[in-house]
Amino acid sequence: MPTRDEVYDKICELLKPYNPKNRPIEMSSGIMTDLEVDSTAVFDIIMGLEDHYDISIPMEMVSDIKTVGELTTAIIQLTSA
Amino acid sequence: MSLFDKYAPLQARVDVMMKMGRDALGLQFDDIISTTRARIGNREILLAGTNNYLGLTFDEDCMKAAKDAVDNHGTGTTGSRIANGTYSEHIDLEKSLADHLGMPSCIVFTTGYQTNLSAISGLAGDKDVVFMDADAHACIIDGTRLTGASTIRFRHNNPEDLDKRLKRQGEIEGGNALVVIEGLYSMFGDVAPIDEFVEVTHNHGGYLFIDEAHSYGVFGPTGCGLAEEQGVLDKVDFISGTFSKSLASVGGFCASRHPEFEILRKVMRPYMFTASATPANICAALAAVEKVKQGEALRANLKARGQQLHKGLSEMGYDLCADASPVIAVRRPNEVVAAMEWNGLMENGVYVNLAVPPGTPQSSSLLRISLSAAHTEDDINIILKAFSDLKDNQGQLMSDMSAKLQG
Repeated sequence: MPTRDEVYDKICELLKPYNPKNRPIEMSSGIMTDLEVDSTAVFDIIMGLEDHYDISIPMEMVSDIKTVGELTTAIIQLTSA
Repeated sequence: MSLFDKYAPLQARVDVMMKMGRDALGLQFDDIISTTRARIGNREILLAGTNNYLGLTFDEDCMKAAKDAVDNHGTGTTGSRIANGTYSEHIDLEKSLADHLGMPSCIVFTTGYQTNLSAISGLAGDKDVVFMDADAHACIIDGTRLTGASTIRFRHNNPEDLDKRLKRQGEIEGGNALVVIEGLYSMFGDVAPIDEFVEVTHNHGGYLFIDEAHSYGVFGPTGCGLAEEQGVLDKVDFISGTFSKSLASVGGFCASRHPEFEILRKVMRPYMFTASATPANICAALAAVEKVKQGEALRANLKARGQQLHKGLSEMGYDLCADASPVIAVRRPNEVVAAMEWNGLMENGVYVNLAVPPGTPQSSSLLRISLSAAHTEDDINIILKAFSDLKDNQGQLMSDMSAKLQG
C-alpha cells in the first residue's frame, strides 16, 4: 500500500502538465478552484492514477473529491480495499 | 454574497471573449436563406458549422411533410408519450427507423440530448457499471449521473484500455457492464473502431451502446452509420441518434436488437415526463429517413467535400485534430486566439463553431467546421480562402487582439 506522501507526489506529477502557472500544490488546494484544472483534465488525471495504482475510481466518487488531500485519501482507501 | 457570485470566474472569461467581438456562443442569425447561407444584418454568411450533414433542412419533401403535419395534426401534441402525446406519426417513425437499422425495437424522443439521458439512465441500474469513452458527449455523462450505477471512464477510442478496465472491474455481482461510445466524435471528428469495441465488450459479457448522432445518415452503404460501415450493425446492442443533424429536424431515437428494450418506455423519466415531439418535427424526420436510405449521392459529395477541405487546410499548415470527415476541427493555441480568429472568419463571411474547454477533449480550443452535402466545391474554396486570409493576417490579428484585451 502506498504512503500518503507517495500518493501526493504522484498526484503532483500528474497535475504538472495542467498547472502551467506553477501554482503551489498543497493538500488543501482545491483541484478545480485553486489550481484551475478543468473537469476534462481532472478525469484524465484520474485515469492516470487508476492505471498507476491498478484501481477503479468511479466518476460518482470523483464528484465528491474537491482537494488534493481528499484525492490522496480516496486513493489510499481504494488501494487498501 | 449574491446567488450569482459563483459564476464570477466564468463571467470574467465571457467578458474577455466579448472584447474580441461577437458572442460566438449566442450568435443571432437574422435570416436563414438556404442550407448553406444565412444573413446577419446586411451580410450574407456561408454556414460551415451547422451539423446539417445531408443538407435536408430545405429539402422539398421534408418541408412538405412538416407543413402537411401541421395542417393535419396541429402545432404541438401538448402531452407526453405516456399520456396523449403518441400519434400515428410517432409510431410510424419508430417503425421506419427500426426497419432501417434492422432492429426489433426503436423509441423516439423529443430531443437528441434527452435520448441519451433517457436511454442510459433507464438501462443502467444500481448494480450495473457503465464504461464510458473519455470523450463522451455531455448527454452521455448526464445520463450516467441520473443512474445509481458506477461509471468508469476509459481512454478515448482505445478498446485495449476498455479491456483493461473491464478486467480490473472483474465480475459485476448482480449487474452488467454497459459500454457507451460514439460513432463519429463531434468535436475532433474522429471515428471509433466499433468492430473492436464490439469484440471487447462481448468478450466480457457486456452490452454495447453507440451514439451515432453525428454518423447516422453520413456513413454506411444505406446511411445507418459507422456500425453499418464497419459491418457490425447486427452485433451492436443499442444505437442512438438524433434528428437534428442528418435528419434535419429536432428529436432523437434509440434502437435495440433486444425486443425487451420496449419496457423502458415505462421507466425513462426524460421520456415520460416531457411533451412528445411535434407532428411537424416527426414528419420531417420520417421523410428524411427515406432520403437517408437513398442518399448515396449525398454521402459521396459530403465525403468529397470533407477530403477537399482537409487537404486544403493541411497544406496551409493548420493543425487538424483527425483525418478527413464531415467534421474538421482546427486546433488553436488558446481560447482568446480562437475567439479572435472566429471573429476574423465572420468578418470574411464564414461561420464555423468556436469550441472551447471544458466542452472539448484535451482542453483544446477549436475552430470546428461541419460540412454539408449541400456544400459545393466553390463553397469549400471560400472556406479555404477565409482560413488562408487568417494565416496571412496573423500579425494584424494578434496586434488587434492585444489592443482589445487592453481596452
